[in-house]
Amino acid sequence: MSALDGWIERYARQMARRVGRRSVLGRLGTLIVGGAMLPLLPIARGFGPGPRDAVAAPEEIDGHEGDPTRCEYWRHCAIDGFLCSCCGGSQTACPPGTEMSPITWIGTCRNPLDGKQYGIWYNDCCGRAFCGRCFCNRNEGERPVYHPYRNNDINWCAGAKSQRYHCSTALIIGLVEEGQPEQ
Amino acid sequence: MGMPFSVSLVVAIGLGALVGAGAVSGARAELEPDETGVSLTLPPPAPHQVWLPDVVLRHSKLFDGDTGQVLGIVDATWGPSGRPPLLSRARNELYVVEPVYERGHRGARRDFVTIYDAVTLDVKGEIEIPPRSAEVGHGVALVGLEDDQRFLAIFNQDPSNSVSIVDLETRRFVEEIVIAGCALVYPTGSRSFGTLCGDGTALELQLDEQGHEQRQVASDPFFEVIDDPLHDKGARDGARWLFASFEGYLHEIDFSGERPVVAARWSLFDEAQRNQKWRIGGARHSAFHRGTGQLYVLVHQGERGSHKDPGAEVWVYDVKARARVRTIQAASLLPAFLRPQMDVARGSWMDWLLGAVLPNPGVHSIAVTQDDAPLLFMRHGEIGAVGVYDATSGRHLRDLDEVGIAGAGIVVP
Repeated sequence: MSALDGWIERYARQMARRVGRRSVLGRLGTLIVGGAMLPLLPIARGFGPGPRDAVAAPEEIDGHEGDPTRCEYWRHCAIDGFLCSCCGGSQTACPPGTEMSPITWIGTCRNPLDGKQYGIWYNDCCGRAFCGRCFCNRNEGERPVYHPYRNNDINWCAGAKSQRYHCSTALIIGLVEEGQPEQ
Repeated sequence: MGMPFSVSLVVAIGLGALVGAGAVSGARAELEPDETGVSLTLPPPAPHQVWLPDVVLRHSKLFDGDTGQVLGIVDATWGPSGRPPLLSRARNELYVVEPVYERGHRGARRDFVTIYDAVTLDVKGEIEIPPRSAEVGHGVALVGLEDDQRFLAIFNQDPSNSVSIVDLETRRFVEEIVIAGCALVYPTGSRSFGTLCGDGTALELQLDEQGHEQRQVASDPFFEVIDDPLHDKGARDGARWLFASFEGYLHEIDFSGERPVVAARWSLFDEAQRNQKWRIGGARHSAFHRGTGQLYVLVHQGERGSHKDPGAEVWVYDVKARARVRTIQAASLLPAFLRPQMDVARGSWMDWLLGAVLPNPGVHSIAVTQDDAPLLFMRHGEIGAVGVYDATSGRHLRDLDEVGIAGAGIVVP
């Protein structure tokens, strides 16, 4: 791959994560077709009529917010690393040959389908070199290194047999009562 | 068909005249054979040099900020941090902390401080340390060289937090000091360094003459870890460290006394700027110039949670006066990245076109040199180029190109 190709790919990825998923959808909805598009947006559905008290299956989400290979995927609100879904694993399982670190940092992400806040574990997968695909960095509720369990800069493979970082998962811990301070 | 005789004769005479003329005049002497086996050495350290680590290429390049030339390269092991070397002028050595695996990416882990000759860049030796040196993506405050350059303090995380002390004079690991609940190392003198703690305090570790722990002293709690945490990327002013908070308040911690003392915080943004959502962000977003007492801060407009986003403006503050004194615009680094890829000359019409049509993604990191005519370096973590500015006037002087593939590290020795 040429350096130019690499740059274009990196830049596209960067734009994808730098320009927030909601802001992109929101701007498109407002600028292109006005308010008519808003009820179709995944985020809007959570506020619409429906069984909001039931815990929705989180993967029944259309679009990027339901695609675990995308930075915009709803569980990725505090992730920093390569997405295991792009590396031979999934959002809940490590790629073959790698080991899931038993310790991790924690995020709190809002599932747009049911509007509920979920605690998310971002367990790293360890024991191989960088996956190098689908890099994503989002920092909702992220805190500095001195508050380690909210920090996504730390190589959490420190708790695994090998500290070589490969990629990151995003596992649901369960419902939580409050969202991030940012929300 | 053969060449007519007359023409051949003319050509032969002409060639003979040319050869003869060259031989007689000696205008173009033959090149001498080159000597083989030559390796250059580094020039002496100079104020405008800058180390730029790359996490993919696993090394740091030393650039001359005045010429844009690479002076030399020092390796670092694999890892997410990017590990620029630390320079001891007194010992004329460079130090790189390296976790190393027996079989590349697998096998037993051993950690070393690798010692380089700062002139030849030859490896002079290594010191084995506990295999717990922390790997943190931003690469900030992981290793600190004490002021008299005898001891190195290395932050460990396994995941409990501690600091390894290494005696560079005797080339020995001294001891591991537990700093439960605190993180990172910020040198504050020859036998002391600070850390930031999860209970909203700063902790200072004081060492004895041999580098052993003497005592730990904490400040009073002074910041809110959840609601308005301190960025862990601080700027040093002697025994003081300056840390901006997520919400844009500057905290000045004085480590010169018996215990860390924190001055009343002050706001880097006025009300109108807050309403416009100006924020501090990036990877290494704060730098201090000691001679002028000015703090350089990388800013952008964004929501909470954008504290690692790049910015396209550097706001410069007179810390004593607690006032902003100027703004420096960061030019887009995309033309600088593309010029060598597309074989475009700087200043050409194509270069102008690139500058006119490409967006400005901003930068993640800044560093300022400490001399009287300081340079300001600006780097984007994913664009292999660095902008060089006159820190006083804000003028964009040049770009360092083909810096690397990825990494936001930027260190002025």
